[in-house]
Amino acid sequence: MFTELNSILNATPDSFTQGEFILVSDRQSDASFLIHHFLSFYLRSFSHYSAISQSLGLIFQEGLKESLSILIPQDTTTGSQAIGCMSMSSDGGGEEGVEEWGPPVLLVDDVSVLLSLGVSAGAMLDFSHYCRATVCSQLQGNIVTLVRCHREEAEDDGSDGGSEWLLKGLVHQCSLTLHVQGLPTGYCRDIHGQVEVCWRRRRGDGQHTQKKLFQYKVHNKGASFFAPGTSSAVL
Amino acid sequence: MLSELLQGTDTGAVLIIQDSCSYSGQHLLKSFISAALNKEEAVHVLGFDVSEEELKDGLTASTQRLHFHSAYTDPLGWTNRTAFTVHQFCVEELTHLLKQTSHPKPVTLVIDSLSWILRHVSPPAVCKTLQQLKKGGAVRAVIGLLHADMHQRGTVGSVCHLATSVITVAPGTKGDEAVAKTTKRSKSGKVMQDEEIFSIKGDFSVTVVSKTSHAGHRQTEPEEHQTDPTANLTFNIRLSDTEREAKEKLALPFVFSKEKKTALLQSGPGSGRILYEPDANDDYDQEDPDDDLDV
Repeated sequence: MFTELNSILNATPDSFTQGEFILVSDRQSDASFLIHHFLSFYLRSFSHYSAISQSLGLIFQEGLKESLSILIPQDTTTGSQAIGCMSMSSDGGGEEGVEEWGPPVLLVDDVSVLLSLGVSAGAMLDFSHYCRATVCSQLQGNIVTLVRCHREEAEDDGSDGGSEWLLKGLVHQCSLTLHVQGLPTGYCRDIHGQVEVCWRRRRGDGQHTQKKLFQYKVHNKGASFFAPGTSSAVL
Repeated sequence: MLSELLQGTDTGAVLIIQDSCSYSGQHLLKSFISAALNKEEAVHVLGFDVSEEELKDGLTASTQRLHFHSAYTDPLGWTNRTAFTVHQFCVEELTHLLKQTSHPKPVTLVIDSLSWILRHVSPPAVCKTLQQLKKGGAVRAVIGLLHADMHQRGTVGSVCHLATSVITVAPGTKGDEAVAKTTKRSKSGKVMQDEEIFSIKGDFSVTVVSKTSHAGHRQTEPEEHQTDPTANLTFNIRLSDTEREAKEKLALPFVFSKEKKTALLQSGPGSGRILYEPDANDDYDQEDPDDDLDV
């Protein structure tokens, strides 16, 4: 868990917005360090640490096996089985006493793997919509999804299929995006890349979409985030 | 033009709000819903993108006349527990749905969002339904949100061609401002376009901050906007009237004017004179060899 990122996102393990759909994306870079952050963030907010991690892992693996067999045939009637799997895993968490743990968190790492396995991007968007309806709205939980983009050539705008199109669709669905990219000026030893944080669908105060750009450096103990141009190597 | 559209739409109007990943048109859509509710119109919302709580969140207008048909929890009919599915988007089903809540006057139908429908229903069918809704009947006006970067340009173009007004929103330069490019087609066939910068307040009321002038409709900017470079200097480079006259009278050194030529050729009093006595061998021509020079 990176404390600097917590202050950027205005969240602590004790108090964070519920019902959020957080999208982590990267382009020719590696955003998995952000997934580690969210994983440790949400785990820290639960009281029973080890029991949760085991059951979360179990639920996720089951979900992967089920979803592969369901989503690839692309038969709409079998879509209900995917939802059955989703509700099963959320109920499974509930049976063991969800009151003690708090709302569920769905962490998907990563969605682009399913694309490369042959699932259509349209089916992926439908699935993530149903996840959002179940986890965020119904159960007041949070979702964190990682999607990875490759710079594809001859990307037809609006064509159904590419990871870029899937990214756009997920951006429209989510409430917070963190987009990781390499520095536009090239490789740097002290700055590993930039993160663009974008808040959408803000409720209450401030209806506008807010964007912030940070640069980051990943090291052994975690990652540090700073405003562009204020890296410790530069100052 | 944005304010006019918010104040009211004609019967048979189809308004499309086009947005993209960089700026969500959801808030502007809510502004339209709020404006319609304030005008005491009955508003029916087909909610695909957002849940009922999220849509009603922040709406201060009376939500008594707002009817939300939830297609959010199960838009594809997988669990059979939703009010509306994507495949029910046709005139017959819509009319049946709208007639369930009885109203004396036709309703305003809000679709959030058309992109969801276009991903699962063929664009020609969607266009046909919109065209039929446009003709009137149970629906007075249709307002739809379209994520333009999710569809091919042809699809977006076809749907927007059906619309009587299209508002394309994009992020503005300042944080809470956005740019709206509006195209409105009136029944007479006249097309009007406008580009405005607007911001949406907490109660979903829209403030048009300024209109950006577009080429071809306005004159070039008047000269008085030019800043005076001689202002705010620590020294004086302005000219008084006598100084300006003297400046204009001054002959520049290397400009060969007629006065200079005659002054050079005719020697003044006291200056040196050249006396030339031609020799017998000299070929003395009385004519001035420089006469043909055009100086």
